[in-house]
Amino acid sequence: MKVSDVMVFDISAVFEDETVERVIDMMSKQFVTGIPVVDEDMKVVGFITDNDIMKASIPSYFALLQSASFLPDTNQFVKNMARIREHKVSEYMSKPPIVIKEDAPLIHAADLMMRHNIKTIPVVDNDGRLVGIITKIDVLKAALEGGLE
Amino acid sequence: MKVLTVTLNPALDREIFIDGFKVDKLHRVSSKEKMTLSPGGKGINVSLALAKLGIPSIATGFLGGYMGRILLEELRKASNLITTNFVFIKEETRENIAIIDEKSHTITEINSPGPEIEEKDIEHILRRYAMSLTRVEAVVISGSIPVNAPRDIYVKMVKMAKEKGVPAFMEVRDPYIITLYENDAMPDVIKPDFRASHTLLGKDLKTLEDFVSAGKELLKTGAKLAVLSYFIDKDVLVLDEASYIIGPTIEIDYSHLLGTGDTYVAGMVYKYLQGERDMLEIGKFGYVAALASTRTAEKELPSLDEIETFMQYFEIERVG
Repeated sequence: MKVSDVMVFDISAVFEDETVERVIDMMSKQFVTGIPVVDEDMKVVGFITDNDIMKASIPSYFALLQSASFLPDTNQFVKNMARIREHKVSEYMSKPPIVIKEDAPLIHAADLMMRHNIKTIPVVDNDGRLVGIITKIDVLKAALEGGLE
Repeated sequence: MKVLTVTLNPALDREIFIDGFKVDKLHRVSSKEKMTLSPGGKGINVSLALAKLGIPSIATGFLGGYMGRILLEELRKASNLITTNFVFIKEETRENIAIIDEKSHTITEINSPGPEIEEKDIEHILRRYAMSLTRVEAVVISGSIPVNAPRDIYVKMVKMAKEKGVPAFMEVRDPYIITLYENDAMPDVIKPDFRASHTLLGKDLKTLEDFVSAGKELLKTGAKLAVLSYFIDKDVLVLDEASYIIGPTIEIDYSHLLGTGDTYVAGMVYKYLQGERDMLEIGKFGYVAALASTRTAEKELPSLDEIETFMQYFEIERVG
């Protein structure tokens, strides 16, 4: 089975110069946790997730703590978010993006998801232009139905 | 990707089949098959019709809320030939209701006005529209726009298509046509939506001469073909060199006319994509596609074989 057999033919994406605020707005309205970043030719140049934005807005010393639950409030988090909301997507996206071609075997998508610990991969054509996305649940569903090979 | 379809005010279409429908009366629907729910809005319907003809398209427009999500899921289920690229908005996508009475041969349609959009949504969609234009051979822009959207959004879209050399096909109501006309932004193929009234450029059309002369006026601002619905089952095709009236040679059930305008547009786009550049042939094929779609009451779209079968059931006459 190929990626094109189970992928979602949706090319919702953001541009590199769009803001963090717009990405959060899109994610919340579309119930997704990651969005491909494209240029004006629809070539995929990056991928941005809720996790990328969370990392950018949570104070870096949090990573050194075993728990942040003793902290009295979320002021620093809110302040950081206010600081980055107008920032460009290009500052926080992952690049180069992990992409997959529509005619690739489905097992290749599963392998990429495991190796890079990602839930969604942009699907591209031979010119690297976005044609859709494939999610972990699409792959799992195909496996459940016996179609991974 | 071959075609971009734009539906700025899409809808979830609910069709209810009730024989002997009367207002101010309780009707019980006899079975669940008599109530259907499907993605709708004129551009989306064109995408669905093109998919039936094997043509891939990108569907774009505004979607919002729970209704918007259902519409998106239903559209994805309908065909892998439709790639979605919608802008999600704050308010809820609308629902259109059609009550089809096959006994009395009537359709009662109730279309809600739909959501309001924010200014940023306009900027958002225009940028994505420009990006999608680089990937397609034709664009279809059809239907109403959100209530608070700037009227000139269609002007911008047609001008952007012209700049990129992408032919535009449109089916819209007269107020939008007036704006296109005033801004010298007529698409290549224009099909006024006459379902509410036979009014074009603000004038009521009554005689055949009225139809021809109004159609010619549209050609002056850039259209190459104007398709004017002429009293239910006939159409007037207005081209630079001549005008024609086209009609069926078979009887049509008027309760089967739901969605035929969208199939008409899809048929014309299909013919264009096959390399046809004679606008009369493009208009004829669109008419026959619409004729073929009247074979059932449901919004069931015709296949290419069915359209070919109906090629024998029309007549055309030069009228000017």
